Amino acid sequence: MLNTAGLSLEQAPPISIPFRFFLLAPLFGIAAGALLLAVGEEALISRWSPVTLALTHLLTLGLLGLVMCGAMLQILPVIAGSPVPRVVLVGTLSHLLLVGGILVLQGGFFGLGAGLMELAIALLGSGFLVFVSGVSVALWRVRTPSPTIVGMRLAVAALVVTVVLGTLLAGGYAGLFRIAGLAGLTDTHLAWGLAGWIGLLLMSVSFQVVPMFQVTPEYPVWFRRRVPGALFVGLLLWLWLRYATLQLGWSPLWETLWSASIGALFALYAGITLRLQQRRKRRVVDVTLLFWRLAMVCLLLLSGALVAVMVWPDLGSNTRFPLFLGIVLLLGVALPAVNSMLYKIVPFLSWFHLQKRQLTLMCMSVPVPHMRQFVSDTAARRQYHAAWLALLSALLALIWPSLFARAAGGLFALSNLLLLGNLLRAMALYRSTAVALSRCGDDPNSH
Amino acid sequence: MVAMERLLNVSELEPCEPLERTLEAARALPGGDYLRVIHRREPHLLYPLLEQAGLRWRTRRGGRAGYEILIWRHQDETAAEQVRAYLDAC
Repeated sequence: MLNTAGLSLEQAPPISIPFRFFLLAPLFGIAAGALLLAVGEEALISRWSPVTLALTHLLTLGLLGLVMCGAMLQILPVIAGSPVPRVVLVGTLSHLLLVGGILVLQGGFFGLGAGLMELAIALLGSGFLVFVSGVSVALWRVRTPSPTIVGMRLAVAALVVTVVLGTLLAGGYAGLFRIAGLAGLTDTHLAWGLAGWIGLLLMSVSFQVVPMFQVTPEYPVWFRRRVPGALFVGLLLWLWLRYATLQLGWSPLWETLWSASIGALFALYAGITLRLQQRRKRRVVDVTLLFWRLAMVCLLLLSGALVAVMVWPDLGSNTRFPLFLGIVLLLGVALPAVNSMLYKIVPFLSWFHLQKRQLTLMCMSVPVPHMRQFVSDTAARRQYHAAWLALLSALLALIWPSLFARAAGGLFALSNLLLLGNLLRAMALYRSTAVALSRCGDDPNSH
Repeated sequence: MVAMERLLNVSELEPCEPLERTLEAARALPGGDYLRVIHRREPHLLYPLLEQAGLRWRTRRGGRAGYEILIWRHQDETAAEQVRAYLDAC
């Protein structure tokens, strides 16, 4: 149940706060697609090349990060009954710092100027500091935390670990200090960012949104209460095993076994989600369900790959294996899930804010559009097809890079262009209705 | 005047259609009538909108889907009386 005791309309941030995050995010997706289209197979040779690093951070910080931060500022008052304090200041400042930081970081990866990496560290570090501070106050004010709130707290803690490790790596990249065991530290940064921040946030938010949005039964109580905490502890133990393997000479088998166990928990989550979706009351298959299913099937595939590497250790030493994991996780799991949420959140916010405005002005002569009118199902499906074709092309590019790398880039850019178009159309409908309501509010005869 | 109950079942609709349909039906309520909404969750986001629209409500846990929300117009004593009678009978 939504824990919105004490929720008032004033607690929700102005619509411009989440929307500024949502509207800029697809631009980074378009930039990532265009970059892959321009450089082609070079981006898929090694995970260490500047192009691959730039691509990865355009996706994780630019596309995923911005949407997740914007959504969190918006949904905390709704699902926790606890708004982010000074949300306009926190939203505006963190948005500016993060966007600036992502852009400068790209320049740093490509070596476009001296001091860019240092500037990126400062901008991104302070952007995340502002965001985490605001969100943490809201999360820790909740007196009786639901499993979703507990999961969100753990996800924010994982974000802090990811940012600290990322800052260290960027400092090493900029030559500020020497980093011993660069590969190990990068893997740790990745694991905490992907499994910790993205994975835990996705899982804990889905405890609320899957039953609510898709009219499914609830997730089992034991799963909601135990698994996010178990995953967090699992990541901490993995950190220790990684250290023991690299520094104390332990057999890598323990670390691989533990990674597979974490993967198995995510596979269990994907299996439960798919099962719940099968049992949903309303049998209509809309595009948000399609995106969500794609994400869960890819999560099963990813977990299967982590088990496969345990059985066939040679697989793990293949340079394409980490790229395969990255593509499936980002393009297959995280982006479709975030995309699905965007198509629910944006129409709802637009409708809700207009409804609030109409009732405040008592202006019933201007109709508020229905939520389905903000993003048309046909347009959203078109974007879904472009998104999964981009995923398929990216996977094929691992086998035939010269044939599919540029196609994957083009399709990914197209998918994000369509997403941006859909969001802009929703925004335009929101603005035109808001303007009509304001005019009506000024005219005493039209009430 | 005898108040008439208007029934709206939104228990199998995806968000935010329940909110949308409830608000539409509530705003179209003629004087003397009340709306009984069958819902599977407690619709916390609906309440501030109802308040702004000059409507009153009572929520009852139970019924066939989990929750029932009874909505009537502010100062509509006939409808309010019927809602009280309905809740007493539950």
